[in-house]
Amino acid sequence: MSEQEQNSQEPDHGSLLTLEDVCKDFPMNDGTTFVALKSMSLKIVDIPERPQIVSLLGPSGSGKTTALRIIAGLDKPTRGSVMITNGIAGEMRSVKVGDVGVVFQKYPLFEDLNVLNNLVVPAVRTGMKAEEAHEKALGYLEEFDLTKQKSAWPVQLSGGQRQRVAILQQLMRDRHFIILDEPFSGLDPVNIINVMKLINRIAHQHTLNTFLVITHDVTSALAISDHVYLLGRERDAEGNPIPGSRVMKEYDMIAEGLAYQPDIEDLPRFAEIRKEIKMVEFPKL
Amino acid sequence: MSSSEAKAERKIPFADVFRVYGSLGAFTRYNLILIWVAIAFAFWFLNPIKALPLPQEVWDALRKMWATPGRDGMVYNIYVTLQLNVVGLFYSALISLLIAYLSIIPVFQPFNKMVQWLRYIPIVGFNLVFFSLFAIGWPMKVAMLTTGMSFFLVTSMTSVIAAIPHMKYELAKVLGYNDRQVFYSVIVRPTLPQMIDMIAQNAAIGWVMITAIETFNRTEGGIGAQIFAYNSTNNLAAVYAYLFIIGIIAVAEDGFFSLMKRLLFPYSLIAERA
Repeated sequence: MSEQEQNSQEPDHGSLLTLEDVCKDFPMNDGTTFVALKSMSLKIVDIPERPQIVSLLGPSGSGKTTALRIIAGLDKPTRGSVMITNGIAGEMRSVKVGDVGVVFQKYPLFEDLNVLNNLVVPAVRTGMKAEEAHEKALGYLEEFDLTKQKSAWPVQLSGGQRQRVAILQQLMRDRHFIILDEPFSGLDPVNIINVMKLINRIAHQHTLNTFLVITHDVTSALAISDHVYLLGRERDAEGNPIPGSRVMKEYDMIAEGLAYQPDIEDLPRFAEIRKEIKMVEFPKL
Repeated sequence: MSSSEAKAERKIPFADVFRVYGSLGAFTRYNLILIWVAIAFAFWFLNPIKALPLPQEVWDALRKMWATPGRDGMVYNIYVTLQLNVVGLFYSALISLLIAYLSIIPVFQPFNKMVQWLRYIPIVGFNLVFFSLFAIGWPMKVAMLTTGMSFFLVTSMTSVIAAIPHMKYELAKVLGYNDRQVFYSVIVRPTLPQMIDMIAQNAAIGWVMITAIETFNRTEGGIGAQIFAYNSTNNLAAVYAYLFIIGIIAVAEDGFFSLMKRLLFPYSLIAERA
């Protein structure tokens, strides 16, 4: 059986994260309610021997940030549930803040701590032994070419270095589920490739690692993910958007035979899907 | 080279001094300071405002008061006021830090707002309250200065806390910090360098208050009491000699706070430069 055929089989494994019928409303000053998410459901399942990289793709205003905050436990949904794996097959529990790591868009770090301490201190504060944290942090810094910067202050880092430190900070705690908020935003093509390589490299450190990439960058989302979810709003008969975003379409890149392909962007099917999203799906969302 | 390029190449001397965010070398920067000091002294020497005593008169008054021993001498009065300044600043910084940091807990927010509003009320308006609570003299002066400065310090310090990006709080939460850890790591520790700035800025307000408080409460002397006494006898040279001393102390205080910041929080200076 070829790798492509193997990939195309639907994995029969436990869920890592599920969103069931999630709704999020915000009360407005004029007494009305703004519906940000409406009946949003998605399921991220474990892929054996592989990490999971899933993208939540949508244009501006499609509710990506609201979805991120709910998945991370930073906001509670108005209705519905977000469940995360307990680490044991079939056992799920409600997500709470701290269960899921988040690398925010502007890579905030603790500006009063140097690079090494940005990794060590949060890990120690949340229960890791200082010696273990120190050793682990130094290992990460070496692996990701940041040893020279270990004593630097965050303000002295370049954008790329800052992004790596922000991701490593989240990895210090042994959490396998990490959300990346717009990791390709504002980057030139060379740096987008570098970030994709970085995400792939970190994701492949552990088969349970699951990265949820929140982005509006169609090409990068398709190139890096095993599953892509399109987030957006339905339209009424007149073509006006109906309030409340939800997952409008799912692209299973494994079933499409595209995931894990080294030259994915050169494949005709990749170009077809990208065109479909850009020309047909995005304008509708 | 085109004529426009040649024009760009030809640098007009000192043009940057007049440009928005003009980039200056250290030499030009220091010379600019010297020029402004020279202008100030020229204004003083030429004395277009006849009420100003001449520099020589001020210098003579300063030397005479410096040489005078005991309660009428300058050394004693500077010591009294400096002591009040340091103690008042210390107490008000402690109290204000506490009130400002507690502003992130909803139950304390109205109290914080109330303290901020009180900065509009002149501190001498509370004379009776202080009379009834504290003994006349040192305790009352310390209480008045601490209270008066705290009204301003709480306002400045609370604005520092309000400016903390919400994302920092969320970063700590997703890293698994509890409320106590968030309070220390996001609210207290990173803002300490700015709090030193706020204390340094408000120390100036302290000097304005000290002179008013010592004028009102003259039993132990001090710069305020001396300025009041010399003003009453129209000895403006002595008054300006004391103002000159206040200026020197203020510059020294600024230097002290800047040094504290450099030693305790080196990253804050790097961040400012960046």
